[in-house]
Amino acid sequence: MRKVLKVARREYVATVRTTGFIVGLILAPVLMSGGLIVMALFRDRTDPRDRHVAVVDRSGLVTAALVRAAAERNARDTVAGPGRPRQAAYLIEVVRPNDRDPSQQRLLLSDRVRAKELHAFVEVGPHALHPRRDTTERHLAYYSQNAALDETRGWIAGQVNAALRRQRLVEAGLDTTAVPDLFYNLEGAPLGLLSRDPATGRITDAVESNEKAAVFAPMAIMLLMFMMLMWGAMPQLNATMQEKSQRIAEVVLGSVRPFEFMAGKLLGGVAIAMTASAVYVGVGLYSLTVLGLSGLMPLSVVAWFFVYMLLAVAMYGALFAAVGAACNDPVEAQSIAFVAMLPMIIPTFLLLPVVTQPNGAFATGMSLVPLWTPMLMLMRQATPGGVPVWQPWVALVGVVATTLLFIWAGGRVFRVAILMQGTPPKLQNLVRWAIRG
Amino acid sequence: MHAVEVESVTKTFGPVVAVDDLSLIVPAGSIYGFIGPNGSGKTTTIRMLLHIIEADRGAIRVFGEALHSACTDRIGYVPEERGLYRKMKVREVLEYFGGLKRGGSLRKEVDAWLARLDLADWADKKVETLSKGMSQKVQFIAAVVARPPLLVLDEPFSGLDPVNADVLREAILELRAEGTTILFSTHDMSVAERMCDTILMIFRGKKVLDGTLEAIQNRYGTDTVRVRTEGGTAALDGLRGVDRVTDFGQVQELRLDGTRDAQDLVGEILSRTRVASFEVMRPTLRDIFLRIAGPEAQESTHA
Repeated sequence: MRKVLKVARREYVATVRTTGFIVGLILAPVLMSGGLIVMALFRDRTDPRDRHVAVVDRSGLVTAALVRAAAERNARDTVAGPGRPRQAAYLIEVVRPNDRDPSQQRLLLSDRVRAKELHAFVEVGPHALHPRRDTTERHLAYYSQNAALDETRGWIAGQVNAALRRQRLVEAGLDTTAVPDLFYNLEGAPLGLLSRDPATGRITDAVESNEKAAVFAPMAIMLLMFMMLMWGAMPQLNATMQEKSQRIAEVVLGSVRPFEFMAGKLLGGVAIAMTASAVYVGVGLYSLTVLGLSGLMPLSVVAWFFVYMLLAVAMYGALFAAVGAACNDPVEAQSIAFVAMLPMIIPTFLLLPVVTQPNGAFATGMSLVPLWTPMLMLMRQATPGGVPVWQPWVALVGVVATTLLFIWAGGRVFRVAILMQGTPPKLQNLVRWAIRG
Repeated sequence: MHAVEVESVTKTFGPVVAVDDLSLIVPAGSIYGFIGPNGSGKTTTIRMLLHIIEADRGAIRVFGEALHSACTDRIGYVPEERGLYRKMKVREVLEYFGGLKRGGSLRKEVDAWLARLDLADWADKKVETLSKGMSQKVQFIAAVVARPPLLVLDEPFSGLDPVNADVLREAILELRAEGTTILFSTHDMSVAERMCDTILMIFRGKKVLDGTLEAIQNRYGTDTVRVRTEGGTAALDGLRGVDRVTDFGQVQELRLDGTRDAQDLVGEILSRTRVASFEVMRPTLRDIFLRIAGPEAQESTHA
């Protein structure tokens, strides 16, 4: 054990003393907490500049309603109030339709948008009132520099649709004033579940959440796990390859057994990841507390993070060390690195389906695959609904078993490959060395 | 007690028999030369001795104990190709390698060895800043700093300039005087001739010679003549009773076939050219090796 600790200590010191580690350790939390602070400071800030929008109404039905709605909105929202910043004013410019050459008119208006005279222009089609009669025609078009992400587009569309609905009711002979709440929209408030406080017996209110809060914790925890794997496990590949190609391994193996050597390296990797994650988690939790957002990251998830991280660094570290031992030079290591990293990268592509349906069959199944449990199960645990209590424990058994298997197989590959020169790191070689030893 | 006993050890890598039924005994406190051309099985034998790889068959004992992983703590090893962490400082790397053999602080021993090999000023410099010769000396210190009773040196002088080679040779001889057993692997047979008490020659995994240099040479008698003539090799063509002429440029070595007297031979050479020197001598290790291994080994001994 003394030798394992000696190797681990060298690995640890060799990494934590590097400028890259120190800079990364300081910079990442600064950027992370800085980003949170900036987000918090600017979360209610909007661009207050007036937005001139030209409207070409070929139906002749919505212009007046749109102008009226904009005036009402401007009177209401362009004055800042307590906890409510000033909003941009929507200034509607009515443009008479040019039916002889509509393309020319659109071009002129586009040029005005480019010249910053207009924010956008809107074109309402002649048959907008009954759009189903001709579904090939574009009945409402919004033109701007970044139309897809332009929030004004949503407001315009809402007002145009409301005006058209009123017209349709009038056509049908219904008095809209008789049903004043006809167009009043109700939004479903996103709330968590109620629970009873076991100490007081009182029912605690459900907490209202939002999309950003729901996504923050799973994303942050997965990103942190990925970073720790990049720091604690991934460097094993190049470090082992260098120890082999620079003949250091032969000197070390004159004193320690191959398994002790690899175990020491893995332990060093775990210590590096533990150091970095302790700093990151500490700074992250402190920042959230200062910002009054401590509820975003449940402490139970943080505890699970450390358990999974320890195992994941050992599991992936054994894989990378074995692959590194099979490589003869940096070119081989570089070409195989991406393939070796794939199991670690795949969970990052599953972020969206796992976060949106954390307890769906897909997310549940994928998170029970031991290679991906450390990232996907943790993400699911960090979603507001959490996961059934048994799942992390069952997954943990799988991860522990897989980690032991990887260390065992990795150790066998490491022992054979570390002194072998000239044999390329092919998959069949790795499998053969793992099985036969 | 013997420092090392190797008994009928065989090691194969796939179809290649790297070491074939090898037996040897290294007497404690001696300098034991383990010689042979490149690829003859020297490094494989050393790796088995260090427990880096396992023998397929046979037994190895170190200081009377059957080989196990703890035995390696009693063996210092300088491999043929130097292996040092380039980004570490010299003192740190020495404390690390020494510490793998022996617990506790090695600071004093490291500093003493650095001073002894004239590297004290480089103690806090990174290994990557050292010259090749310095790196070799650091590698040597890494092997001896934990005071192992057995030291295995694989080509310790390769690439060293004469000054550094002398420094290292003196250090090796001092260690031997202090009781350390030295197992010294080399393909340079002249170095082995000068330093080793006992020599084992290996070729294609098999032992072909074993014993003291004197005993080995006595076995082959005084059948070698070294001459320096004005006429060079051309003047030595077709000499009766000469089995082989080896040209070294300035001198030539003649191996007699046993049918002719050396004194008689010098007369014939004098009749052909002027002779600057003439010496009747015992065959060199290299010459003996060539006789045993045959002409096919000649190329590899030039490596």
